[in-house]
Amino acid sequence: MKKKNIPLSILKYFFLIVLSFLSIFPFFWMIVSATNNAREVNVGKLTFGPHLAENLGNLFHSDLSFGISLGNSAMIAAVTTVLALLLSSVAGYGFEIFHSKARDRVFNILLLSMMMPFCALMIPLYRMFSMAGRAGLRGIGLNTMFSVIAPYICTAFLIFFFRQNTKSFPKDILEAARMDGLNEPGVFIHMYMPVMRPTYAAGAIITFMTSWNNYLWPLVALQEPQKRTVPLILSAMGSSYTPNYGMIMAGIVIATLPTGFLFFVMQKQFVAGIIGSVK
Amino acid sequence: MKCNRVVATVLSAVMLISMAACGGNGGTASSAANASSGGEKTQATASSAASDTAKKLTIWAWDDTFNVKAANEAKAAYAKINPDVTVSVVSMAQNDIVAKLNTAFESGNMDGMPNIVLIEDYRIQNYLKSYPGVLSDLSDVTKADKFMDYKLKTMTEDGKIYGVPFDSGVACVFYRTDLLQKAGYKPADMENLTWDKFIEIGKAVKAKTGKAMLSVDPSDLGLIRMMMQSAGKWYVDADGKADIAGNPALKEALTIYKKMQTAGITITASGWDAGVAAVNEGKVATAVNGCWYASSIKKATDQSGKWAVASFPKMSNVSGAVNATNCGGASWYVIDKVPGRDTAKDFLSKTFASDTELLDNLCKDISLVSTYKDASSGKNVSLPDAFFSNQAIYKDWIGWTKNIPAVNYGTSTYDIENKMTEVVQSILKGASLDDTLKNAQTEVEGIVSAAG
Amino acid sequence: MDGNRTTAAGQSSKKLTHHTLEKKMNRWGWGFVALGIVLISIFVFFPMVGALVMSFQTGKGINMHFGGLANYRRLFHDQTVGKALGNTFIYLIIQVPIMLVLALIISVLLNDKSLKGRTFFRVAIFMPCITSLVSYSLIMKSIFSNDGLFNQMLVHLGLSPIMWTTDAFWAKVLIILSITWRWTGYNMIFYLSGMQNIEPSIYEAAEIDGANFMQKLNYMTIPLLKPIILFTTITSTIGTLQLFDEVQNITQGGPANGTITISQYIYNLCFKYTPNFGYASAVAFIVVVLIMLLSMVQMKLGGKENQ
Repeated sequence: MKKKNIPLSILKYFFLIVLSFLSIFPFFWMIVSATNNAREVNVGKLTFGPHLAENLGNLFHSDLSFGISLGNSAMIAAVTTVLALLLSSVAGYGFEIFHSKARDRVFNILLLSMMMPFCALMIPLYRMFSMAGRAGLRGIGLNTMFSVIAPYICTAFLIFFFRQNTKSFPKDILEAARMDGLNEPGVFIHMYMPVMRPTYAAGAIITFMTSWNNYLWPLVALQEPQKRTVPLILSAMGSSYTPNYGMIMAGIVIATLPTGFLFFVMQKQFVAGIIGSVK
Repeated sequence: MKCNRVVATVLSAVMLISMAACGGNGGTASSAANASSGGEKTQATASSAASDTAKKLTIWAWDDTFNVKAANEAKAAYAKINPDVTVSVVSMAQNDIVAKLNTAFESGNMDGMPNIVLIEDYRIQNYLKSYPGVLSDLSDVTKADKFMDYKLKTMTEDGKIYGVPFDSGVACVFYRTDLLQKAGYKPADMENLTWDKFIEIGKAVKAKTGKAMLSVDPSDLGLIRMMMQSAGKWYVDADGKADIAGNPALKEALTIYKKMQTAGITITASGWDAGVAAVNEGKVATAVNGCWYASSIKKATDQSGKWAVASFPKMSNVSGAVNATNCGGASWYVIDKVPGRDTAKDFLSKTFASDTELLDNLCKDISLVSTYKDASSGKNVSLPDAFFSNQAIYKDWIGWTKNIPAVNYGTSTYDIENKMTEVVQSILKGASLDDTLKNAQTEVEGIVSAAG
Repeated sequence: MDGNRTTAAGQSSKKLTHHTLEKKMNRWGWGFVALGIVLISIFVFFPMVGALVMSFQTGKGINMHFGGLANYRRLFHDQTVGKALGNTFIYLIIQVPIMLVLALIISVLLNDKSLKGRTFFRVAIFMPCITSLVSYSLIMKSIFSNDGLFNQMLVHLGLSPIMWTTDAFWAKVLIILSITWRWTGYNMIFYLSGMQNIEPSIYEAAEIDGANFMQKLNYMTIPLLKPIILFTTITSTIGTLQLFDEVQNITQGGPANGTITISQYIYNLCFKYTPNFGYASAVAFIVVVLIMLLSMVQMKLGGKENQ
């Protein structure tokens, strides 16, 4: 029987409790501050106050277009997620099911793209969209939903993610389907997609979250205040001469709700989504 | 290979998206317009004669206590003349405005841009030179003889005037009469100071009241800029070439800056908010800044009657230095391709370019020192200001404005200043002034030449 | 004769069918991956080449012209680049190891099935990952402002307040603290899942041989987790090299470029100062080179010790 080392045990629990507290505290602060006014937040008030309604009012009724930005973020995230899942799963399936040496080489090259830092891509992407706009193709130039969505609808990471998860896919049912006369797209849609629902769910969560929280590229591509996404608005509020933290915290609470919801309700897929590529 | 259904679905999805992007502004449940004309702007294509006279205007400006307030008062004044024009004033941080202007001008896509935008004098040369044609020629709106020369100089290119001058950034020393008194100094002692005397007074203030004399921001070298301009110098010379290593005004300014810190009369305040807080909370005895800073000082209503204003100190070791300089200051510009250009020009011509009553009211409401010459004879100008010990501050300010040396700001002030913040840090840590400046000269030459 | 022909034809037609089938499958293969390849080429590879080309050009805004090596020469003298790189290395060398070691320790502790409240701890420590980078930056900014909560606590305890955003040293500390708070849980999840793939029986075998906690950790857990540790090291490095959201929202790169990162400097060069896209591209290329170098180094080091 192992001797129980009590001091060590206490140390372990103490350590974990402290870390958990530190991890959760900022959330508590965020919620409390959303109920206080700016001055109280600035001096560190830790108790709830009556100003939540006022903060929410300021948030939605000033010319900050916070309400509109929620819609913008939602639309961008939804469209990006649907397109990204579609395109990446098709490609990942292709690389894994139609295995070939040549395609493997191409796959490895695609993986290299994950190492390209965004700050280097940002400038040429910016100019690409800018030139499209100048050339008269306004719909796909800068300051459009297209420009914000396009760079993210196909990432090597998602393709890799789908490919990895396809490795454990029972390929014989594909053969059976082909015997039954389905063509390849049919096989993909009717055989693969239904079985891979958990993977799609996990992939949807990652993509939605990344898109919802995306900051640098929308900051660069969007110039119209009405088109801004939630992180942009929050950032603008935070960089004003005298930030109204009560209002900002209320905004953050709202902005964190979708990911918070996904996290608590779909924890398993959430975690599966993140570690999927490591298997 | 036959296009399979998957590819077809994807292609149609992509087309749908681009059509959506073309047609709308992407918002799902757009709340009833917050008066911004964004939604309509996206529909607008080439500007036709009809859209030049559109009845909706948007104005972008920063600083709620000063510029934005001014825009709103102009809006009210204009509504009396032209009630069928809707004006929307949007307050944004200056950096945000700059970033969006850059994007719009670069891409040529003016969607979502305002009709009228406030641009700081330091920045306008850059826009005029990098993006010719984006700002409207306002020569028929801004009558050259009605405005002060040094302002007109910043916005003139090829003989055309591109803006309507707004505020004078005439700088001064705002000081707390009560704290100075405790240290043994009367208002008369604060007139026509030299920097050496200023530091001496600061030491006395520290000793007798425990308060610092002023606050400094490591990332904002307004003080250095003001000192340079008081001697007619800038980071670049009249031709726009880097003027760092051989710039006596800059050297002296940095020396004074260091002396102040070594004498222990400063506190550090990072960012605009912290600086204003230091003043409002009584942590410092003075604020050396442009006159537009008054509206921020006045936020501390409990300090009313305890402030006064004195002229900018002189750098006694630099020839040509005077007791007057400028800090900041901005002007109103019209973006040419945004629908409503003619309406915008009319707005400006009837408000900031001629309405002396409006400018006089602004004098009282936001402590505006206008660069419109006729405004100096307004009735509020000679009014004593109770907050500032009943001093006739506007008269003083206008008087000092006449002595401001005009300089060429060049096109890269903020890039250069980014370098200079590091220079200042090195010097404060003890590096040799001459060596540091020599290195900086090479770097600034790179910035300026690349931009050319 | 018929028989022969049939046999020969039969065989060759079988080969033919097989060959045609292969070709058909191959074409489908390319069909499925084509769009993905095209899109990544358009939005990653093509721009990378464009960035390289632009790095040899110079000029304001739209007026760009060929400048040869001018940008790279200017880069050499650019003190801000030096500062940005310096800051990034400080973040790399201090923040990444602290975070990964912390994550490892936590996962080891949480992997113990006899620990009470495992789920709670795991959920709590992972929670920071649900915030967006902008959101948590603003939260940190408000807690650590000069008169904010943290300083109030310090004053309460009789200590003097720390000037978080005004002092170059403390500003960096703040950034490091923030990043660690946000990402430790994320890495913990990777280690936890990796450890769950380890057969518990080998630990039992080791215990029978007399191994204690530290020995089990050093000689068994860590080597078995090598690939995952390598993965998190590389991703953390790449992430740190691209740091932007936090420094932009908490310290704006200040004070006096005390916390600035390369990403931020590139952004400033394009959107805050007079836009010079050529020079900004040249600066961006340093990051590309750095990432490639560091990834190669880390992979070599990680691969060497593979059993």
